[in-house]
Amino acid sequence: MMGQSEYLEVFIDESQEHLQTLNDHLMQLEKAPEDISIVGEIFRSAHTLKGMGATMGFEDLAHLTHNLENVLDLIRHEQMSVTSHVMDVVFESVDDLEEMITDIAGGGDGSRDVNETVQKLEALQNKDQEKAAASETAAAAVDSPQKPMQEQTAVQESYDEYERTVLKQSYEQGYNPYKIEITLDEQTMLKAARVYMIFDVLEQVGDIIKSTPPADDLEDENFEFSFVITVISSVEQEELKQRVLKVSEITNVSVEVVNVEEPVPEAESTSPSNAEEPAESAPAKKDEQKESAKSDKSEKHSGGSKKGSELNKTIRVNIDRLDVLMNLFEELVIDRGRLEQISSELNNNELSETVERMSRISGDLQEIILNMRMMPVDQVFNRFPRMVRSLSKELGKNVNLEISGAETELDRTIIDEIGDPLVHLIRNSIDHGIEQPDVREAAGKPAQGNVHLSAYHSGNNVFIEIEDDGNGIDKEKVIKKSLENGVVNEEDLEKMNDQQIFGLMFASGFSTAQEITDISGRGVGLDVVRNTFETLGGNITVNSVYGEGSLFSVQLPLTLSIIDVMLVEIGKEKYGVPLTAIVETAIVNKNEVYSAHAQKVIDFRGNVIPLVFLNEIFEVPDRESAKGNEYYSLVIVSKGDKIAGLVVDSLIGQHDVVLKSLGSYLSNVFAISGATILGDGQVALILDSNALIK
Amino acid sequence: MASVLIVDDASFMRMMIKDILTKNDFDIAGEAANGQEAVDLFNETQPDLVTMDITMPEKDGIAALKEILQQHPGAKVIMCSAMGQQSMVIDAIQAGAKDFIVKPFQADRVMDAVQKVMG
Repeated sequence: MMGQSEYLEVFIDESQEHLQTLNDHLMQLEKAPEDISIVGEIFRSAHTLKGMGATMGFEDLAHLTHNLENVLDLIRHEQMSVTSHVMDVVFESVDDLEEMITDIAGGGDGSRDVNETVQKLEALQNKDQEKAAASETAAAAVDSPQKPMQEQTAVQESYDEYERTVLKQSYEQGYNPYKIEITLDEQTMLKAARVYMIFDVLEQVGDIIKSTPPADDLEDENFEFSFVITVISSVEQEELKQRVLKVSEITNVSVEVVNVEEPVPEAESTSPSNAEEPAESAPAKKDEQKESAKSDKSEKHSGGSKKGSELNKTIRVNIDRLDVLMNLFEELVIDRGRLEQISSELNNNELSETVERMSRISGDLQEIILNMRMMPVDQVFNRFPRMVRSLSKELGKNVNLEISGAETELDRTIIDEIGDPLVHLIRNSIDHGIEQPDVREAAGKPAQGNVHLSAYHSGNNVFIEIEDDGNGIDKEKVIKKSLENGVVNEEDLEKMNDQQIFGLMFASGFSTAQEITDISGRGVGLDVVRNTFETLGGNITVNSVYGEGSLFSVQLPLTLSIIDVMLVEIGKEKYGVPLTAIVETAIVNKNEVYSAHAQKVIDFRGNVIPLVFLNEIFEVPDRESAKGNEYYSLVIVSKGDKIAGLVVDSLIGQHDVVLKSLGSYLSNVFAISGATILGDGQVALILDSNALIK
Repeated sequence: MASVLIVDDASFMRMMIKDILTKNDFDIAGEAANGQEAVDLFNETQPDLVTMDITMPEKDGIAALKEILQQHPGAKVIMCSAMGQQSMVIDAIQAGAKDFIVKPFQADRVMDAVQKVMG
């Protein structure tokens, strides 16, 4: 094969897409087993995979898809019904395919022992063919004695009396009778189609009197590689040969003139009745095939046009390039900030106009770049139906997964990261949440449990929620376990509301499962889940009613790198508070501050909220300016339904900034999520307000 | 130099054919990812030859073939098929396709078909 490396990337990309299509449509099919149009789509994906796999030389992949395709073909032509067993085997083979593609993507050769799956697929085919084949085998048995005949020497052909008469008559009318032996290339794959082409060519210049083996067998590919056609034609011998040679995949053509006078003694007795048949049955059979081909095609066509409207023109861009583009743009944003500052200092009309215009355009540009990186969460969600299906089978539970808002978009970087934690959460819901069917019925619930996975936009955030109608979380058990594991002490516990108590489950080293299954007992706890979401600038909360179900809610930022912040000043240092966390800003008189539980609080719109003195937390020196001030400037921030007031010296204003990480040396700085470069070249630290609210 | 329009919904397959053809000094008139694009591009570029995949979304290769031949009776179209599509290939030949090649493609076979059709 040709240099493969250049195709490999495209191959992997497209294969993964097709695998996804396979999975999606298979799930649909399972829900609506009668909808044959879905099978058409599934077939098409399997088919393309086969072609690509074979071209790349991934034998096992091609072999497996080929068998898969055969089964699908039977379903498509309604020769097999979609039973749960059939679906299991098909899913299993898709799993195998997935493994192979993953292996290939990881640099492997994609080889895999597919025999077991292939055997299952073959068993499916055979089971269904047995019925249909019963009659066919009988017919084949009659045909088979003919085989040895055709393997004899070249251009041996015998004619019965009727055929000889026809040949003779046409000869007398000025036509030449020829017998043509044609040998196909040994690698010819669609032999019947080749034969059809040859017949087509010959029929353009003459009439076909006979073929050996008969046309039926040729169409059914019941021949090795060569066959003999007798034809009457007005063209010359050599021209006839050249015309046939125009068809590809033919290794040899020999044309001979039939001697019509010569009597053929033995021939008559060997094939007396068979000979007449092909002449008549051939056209009939051919028409039949045309019919079936046509209906086949129109079926496909109608199925295809439905999907067509959804297709958009797209190009593939490596995500690295988008990252580079993003980085360059970030640099531009920093310079833009600097320019804005310079222009406001110089106070030159033309300059400020130009800068303003540039700011506006770069704002648009930013939106486009960010949008380019946005992908629907469907990318992550689409693998869950499969997972839930196999999981519920494994656990003997009956679970229905409902997905909504799959079109909600998120930054690609975030999409890449949230897959695993979501898998974990859904597994949790099914493993620990949804009860066994009999338990459910005993509790007066329907036997089928529901897990609802939803995504939606809200402000600058995307929420992903996983809700189940399972058993819910046992609060007492959570309390007991947290105390046992020292996650919390009793004093703190008393102050906690239900949601905070449930939140303890996200503390490290926590598992409320009564027995460890291989699904959730993998050693990855909910703390890892929480950490992942928090690193992405999000958070997770859980709420539950014991006996009725639980709701895990994940909040995620739309995008990572460029964020809106409120710049504040503390002493001579500048800090940015992400706008997404800010409820509002306020200025309060110092004598409105009270002390409660050794904590400074204020009464704010009827709520008692704690104050956080950033100058103490960050140990800001040199705060001359703030002294003697009668007022506190506050930034009120929220985390879930908890709020706090951050005390700063002054509020500067809202800015778009590029969030840069602090690098690996400073990865765990308390309450700081990163830094940014301001227009005047100063560095401002970006606060992680979630860490400041307890 | 003869120009070829490549039609296949898998860009991977298009790359393969393109590679084979360009190595043999053919011009690529264009690439289409479905039947409708193929018809449009044919009208636009008037290529000497088309390689046409059969199973494609939106409009399959046979429908596209028929449409192209209706407008350009002399068009030379080679169908690209996979094993198991015998009846569709026959349907295509009947509709006027000049030849067919079977996936997985082998360069010499593709060129054999192309040269026979062009010769």
